[in-house]
Amino acid sequence: MFIRLPRKLFLFYVSVFYLIGIPVHAENNTAPTGSFKSKACMECHKKNNPLLIKDWRSSAHANTQPITDCVACHGKLHQAAASSSRRDSTCIRCHGGKKDPVVHSYTTSKHGVLMQLEKRSYDWNQPLADANYRAPGCSYCHMHKAGHNVSAGIRDDLMDKAAEKKVREQTRIACLDCHAPRYITRLFENGERMLEIGRKKVREARSLIEQSSVTFSDDELAPARAQLVKMQQHLTNVYLGVAHQSPDYQWWHGHPALDGDLLRIKGFIGELYRIKK
Amino acid sequence: MKEPTMKTKKVRYIWIPIIIALIAVPIGFFYVDWSKSGDGAGLYSRDWIPDAMFAYWNPDDFYQSVSTIKGEFNGEQCISCHQAVTPGIVKDWQASRHSKVEQKVYCNDCHGSNHEDLHMPTPKVCSSCHETQHQQFVDEKRYGFPSHALAMERALDSKHFVDKPKAEVTACLQCHSVATKCDSCHTRHKFSAAEARRPEACITCHSGPPHPDDETYFNSAHGQIYLAEGENWDWSKPLRKGNYKVPTCAYCHMNEGKHQVADKPIWKFGIKQVNPLSSGNKIKRKQWVKMCSDCHAADWSAQQLKAMDAERKRAWSKLYQAEAILKGLRADGFLYPSAKQRPAYPGDTKHSLIQRERIGFFEGQASAFYNVSPIERDYFEMWYFENLAAYRGSAHGDISFVNKSHKAMDKSLQKLKQHAKRLRAHGKVEVDETTLRNIWLKGEYTEFNRENN
Repeated sequence: MFIRLPRKLFLFYVSVFYLIGIPVHAENNTAPTGSFKSKACMECHKKNNPLLIKDWRSSAHANTQPITDCVACHGKLHQAAASSSRRDSTCIRCHGGKKDPVVHSYTTSKHGVLMQLEKRSYDWNQPLADANYRAPGCSYCHMHKAGHNVSAGIRDDLMDKAAEKKVREQTRIACLDCHAPRYITRLFENGERMLEIGRKKVREARSLIEQSSVTFSDDELAPARAQLVKMQQHLTNVYLGVAHQSPDYQWWHGHPALDGDLLRIKGFIGELYRIKK
Repeated sequence: MKEPTMKTKKVRYIWIPIIIALIAVPIGFFYVDWSKSGDGAGLYSRDWIPDAMFAYWNPDDFYQSVSTIKGEFNGEQCISCHQAVTPGIVKDWQASRHSKVEQKVYCNDCHGSNHEDLHMPTPKVCSSCHETQHQQFVDEKRYGFPSHALAMERALDSKHFVDKPKAEVTACLQCHSVATKCDSCHTRHKFSAAEARRPEACITCHSGPPHPDDETYFNSAHGQIYLAEGENWDWSKPLRKGNYKVPTCAYCHMNEGKHQVADKPIWKFGIKQVNPLSSGNKIKRKQWVKMCSDCHAADWSAQQLKAMDAERKRAWSKLYQAEAILKGLRADGFLYPSAKQRPAYPGDTKHSLIQRERIGFFEGQASAFYNVSPIERDYFEMWYFENLAAYRGSAHGDISFVNKSHKAMDKSLQKLKQHAKRLRAHGKVEVDETTLRNIWLKGEYTEFNRENN
């Protein structure tokens, strides 16, 4: 009894203070009006949402030049800063034009199509969670539940298979708001297999070029190497097609394009051998 | 005395075909059954094993329910649980007409009530209420390829689909599943008719190099007006004369909401030349002109079709020139690598004896865009990407796209000529050179592809 009572009391006090605290906190912190610079944002939000700042610090936004700070997405004015920055248009300002594969693979996906058709009817004040938006925009998946580490679900080196699991867990959470777990698991595993097949094509081309560099000079092999660079883009297309669920990027911009690259590299090197003979 | 022997002889001869038929017909049935009895589906089902993901794109053939949750549930019970598990689909359903009609259409009406034996709804399931639309949709099969209703067969029975690793060709099924599930256009679980009337509903599949229907439509005068004003139109109206300022994909191809897209196209997919003035196509032309006349003068509309005929003729004259170059190389033995040096064409090892380079539609080059020589691939791209882009441009009224694509075809033809000249200069192809054979037959993907389908 002696031990239990203080615990209960403690819980009681905590809840009372919490309940009283909410309005007080809100009153003291009613969204300040006026214009802010990112430094000022940080100072305040470091206290109020330390996790958010920590998240952002570990993201690519904080670690690549030019740094994408608070103001870059939320603007200088504090009013409606969150709701306006949730829209895809915020991201597209930096992440390519409409024809950039990153954007285009999304806009031609079913998610992207629904977003285009329905965005005017959404209430953008809703948090990025619980399927509050019928179609997920960029932020719904990449900043799910206001997570500010935007790059947690993205990987830079597509040839590296090891990073996959972490990425999968990160993005899976957002999918499950609408889709069945088994569907998502299969979809992800299928995507990884599809991407691995793409890597096989790139590795085959790369090793053929390396083998041929014993026989031929760099100048002679330059066109093959140029084609290999194209392969990287086409592999990225497969990846974007898988990640954004665009069949067009998985296929026409992806796998058959990789096939074309591979056979052209083989044809080119084969012709070099035939001339030399 | 001679007559009766003749008669008995005749009677005896009749038995021969009867016996042959009695043996052959069951064997035929048995063979077809056997060929469809493999792990895969379709004509070559014994030659491949499906990827786990196929269950969702072709549920009739591959979906199996799991027994993680046991019991029978009614609609309200489904919703009370799924509100927490997958709130998105419940919100969708609540916004749908299914939840607003007097006799609500609940989850279990389409998925079944037994949680251990759920199914993914196919068009057949939808047809129990939407019978008219389903009949129109199935009616497409009469017109052959290309059609929505035959799209899954088209994919599964393609040789390159059978030949390639199944995780790779899962990409195909996402669009070809338009035959096996209605939510390709009416996305789940809202299943909105208004959504499917918008052009964007089509672009997830109708985009990209061989069918830039999205770009060519949006660039056209129709598309420009849609982009500027479409957001404010009332999309609950049927696709009928007077309801829309400009036509959208569905207005022309599914006029009056008829779920039949295959009955009007004259040039079909565009991968082979057709006679646009055949008796069948003359009927189709009248249908087009009648529809364009919702807004335009009939004469003017007929003129547009003629302009398209001329454009197609121009395109095919270029394609035939390219084909002639390739066939010349093949005849003279200059095609490098030849069919004997490179991996077999899809399906060839099992279904045909002769290894020969395939050039053009009628030799089956449509399934041969890999495992080929660069010059054949160049022609494939000219044929499949540039030619089809030009076709889409002229069909949808995007002149700049037509011009751009024809310029690209001219350039490709020039490139092809130069490449052919180079190949001829290299001399005849000898098959037995080990290095050359290794280049084509070895390698991580090539070997993986050979072993995995």
